[in-house]
Amino acid sequence: MATRLFRPWLLGNLNRFFPGKKLGLRAILILALGFAVCIIIYLGTLRVLTYFHSQNELGVILSLKIFQMAWITIFAMLIFSSMVTAVSTLYLSSDNEIILAAPIKADEIYLLRFVTTTISTSWMVLVFSLPVFGAYARVFEAGPLFWPLLLLAVPAMALIASATAMLATVILVYFFPARRTKDIILYLSLLFGILLYLIFRLMRPEDLVNPDRYGEFIEYFSAISAPAGPWLPAGWSANLLGTYLLDGRVDWLLAGLLITTPLVLYFAGEIAMRRWFFAGFSKSQESFGGHMRFRPTRSFPGTWAWIWRKELKYFLRDSSEWSQLFMVGALVVVYLYNFKALPLDRSPMPTDYLAHLIAFANIGLVGFMAASLAARFVYPSLSSERGAFYLIGSAPLPLSRFLLYKYLFYLPPFTLLTLLLVLVSNHLLDIEGPMQWISLFLSLLLTWTTVAMALGFGTYFADFKSENRAAAMGPGAILFLFCAILYQLSIISLGILPIYRLVRGWLRHSIMPPTDLVILCLWAGGAVFVSFLLAFIICRRSIATLRK
Amino acid sequence: MTAPLLEINNLSKRFGSFTAVDSVSLTVAAGEIYGFLGPNGAGKTTTIKMLAGLLLPSGGSVTIDGQDLNRSPQEAKKKTGYIPDRPFLYEKLTGDEYLRFIASLYLQSGTEKVLTEAEKYLELFDLTAWQHHLIEGYSHGMRQKLIMASIFMLNQPLIIVDEPMVGLDPKSARIVKELFKSLAARGTAIFLSTHSMEIAEELCDRIGIIQHGRLTTTGSMEELRLQAATGTKNLEDIFLELTGAYELQGIIRALRQDTEDHGSR
Repeated sequence: MATRLFRPWLLGNLNRFFPGKKLGLRAILILALGFAVCIIIYLGTLRVLTYFHSQNELGVILSLKIFQMAWITIFAMLIFSSMVTAVSTLYLSSDNEIILAAPIKADEIYLLRFVTTTISTSWMVLVFSLPVFGAYARVFEAGPLFWPLLLLAVPAMALIASATAMLATVILVYFFPARRTKDIILYLSLLFGILLYLIFRLMRPEDLVNPDRYGEFIEYFSAISAPAGPWLPAGWSANLLGTYLLDGRVDWLLAGLLITTPLVLYFAGEIAMRRWFFAGFSKSQESFGGHMRFRPTRSFPGTWAWIWRKELKYFLRDSSEWSQLFMVGALVVVYLYNFKALPLDRSPMPTDYLAHLIAFANIGLVGFMAASLAARFVYPSLSSERGAFYLIGSAPLPLSRFLLYKYLFYLPPFTLLTLLLVLVSNHLLDIEGPMQWISLFLSLLLTWTTVAMALGFGTYFADFKSENRAAAMGPGAILFLFCAILYQLSIISLGILPIYRLVRGWLRHSIMPPTDLVILCLWAGGAVFVSFLLAFIICRRSIATLRK
Repeated sequence: MTAPLLEINNLSKRFGSFTAVDSVSLTVAAGEIYGFLGPNGAGKTTTIKMLAGLLLPSGGSVTIDGQDLNRSPQEAKKKTGYIPDRPFLYEKLTGDEYLRFIASLYLQSGTEKVLTEAEKYLELFDLTAWQHHLIEGYSHGMRQKLIMASIFMLNQPLIIVDEPMVGLDPKSARIVKELFKSLAARGTAIFLSTHSMEIAEELCDRIGIIQHGRLTTTGSMEELRLQAATGTKNLEDIFLELTGAYELQGIIRALRQDTEDHGSR
């Protein structure tokens, strides 16, 4: 009987991935994509580990040390993301009205929410850590017990993370309303993520493999040989696997801790659920915020202004949206810091040439950054209209005009970000002359087209039933990213030759031959034409699909 | 007199300083249909959510067939069927899978018998041909009918319904009314919240009117007529009289004047 609550979840997922009891094209595509990503991770890890192992005993220990650090970081992130998910699954699920009105015990609901929270937060870690472990097993030539130990260590870590998160969530929601708790957890996890990212980047882990950085080698060696996080469950699982990989020895104490800790935490969570859940759930329905009073609205000129205003208000009043600006801020800081930290002077190439080469490659990086952010913010913008889209559909406003207003809304922030990244990184690289203008022109062109593509793909794959922006990012978002990067690479790679000739001429203070100038103009004109055409076709096609 | 199946004593709910439900007391006997009326924001849905065990009261008690909802929630819920006004349904389940799931929530055994009962309701609501389709393809009315079938099949002693006819076509609405009458005749107590005066007048044995969180009026149609003392006959007039018709009269006069002025121009 304990499994009866799982039926909708199981059947729903089966119906989603196997419509009509068959393996659908969508499921096959997702599986193929997942498999391809696993292979890439495996090969990448194998290459890195093989390099480390070619660097004597220190490299071997270092590879385990990095693995332990990454594992502890993942564990911390898992706890926070489990807490955010647990608030949603326990208190904000739309099926609570059915389940809680039925004669179901709190223990049974806890089991359901525990299992679904664990799976939804950690399946990616479980699946994508397998190829990493596979690479470690191959390079370390692991013994037969490695896989059973892995089967214990990885799920145990996921279970400990979600059990800790569930316990903390039930207690937190008892004191704060669910939505406020979700916000608190979201801010904490964002700040924590930013902090980890900044620390990791500013610590410059690449220096770990740079022997010139360390005077006292023995001190360094003993420091990295010590087990990481002996008091943390993630440390237990990493050390259990690390010890076995290095010495072929099983640490039974760690194995015992990994078996018993999830059980203890689970039952503690169950007791907390029995005592505090319903009171918290009842309170969570009260925190509707209806008591808040807003200032009267001023008048605005025209439809476009109201659409912009609506977009802005929605963004600013949804803490899960605007709080992501912190993450964007951290990304920008680290992005630009990387340029500051570049060891240009140690390169055998002339500094001028190298700086211009990096500035050119930076155009692609800026484009990639714009594509990632567009996938997160612009792609789901139409789906985020949700049920209210009927208002737009039934209003005397052409859909193309509505999309144009949305496009113009997102254009200024993306333009500003692009200008910031290009101008500051070019300044740090001491770039002047034609490369400055080329990188500005190309970055802006790529960004503007990418934003239009994101809007077009988001319209084509619009999902008005998704609960929030993040949920609206289905396989269409991945397809958008793939197409956007393909477009950017095509434009950039076609420009390599004319830009190289232009910059080379400028660096040598020579006059550009007329044929080179014609090729450059043709490339620039072609890039503008292709970009415009691509954005136009995608948006037009999407609008036609949406109308159907 | 039969013992009440639903007994509400001084039920209150406060959201911060705002009192949504203020010391409401009423009883519903087995076989009785109790209509719960009130203007928007009067506290109807809050009361219903407390009766369904979805909201913790700030004070007072709810007893269902002798079981205190606060002290023995599982036992009380075993005797209750709740039909919300906007039913959430699992989009990726079929109607049949949904019914089986609901049966498993309320019954430890004998689900097959209940599912045979469900077939009858699916047939009545013209849903048989759709039962193996995903719910995401159902219309609003079909969803409403499915959730009704899922509660009717359980044959619970108490049914709590919030706005039963929203989205139903006239044929289904007629069937639902007849079903309510038939269930009540067989001893089911029905607590029904609605804005439709016709439904309340046609179905309910007794009616309670809630205003600003307080149950201001309760009684049979005859008793309500006496309380309103207007000489009017239908429930709509009585309801308006008891909930502020004097304001409405002024509004209607102003609108009519407006129409006449517009016509003379």
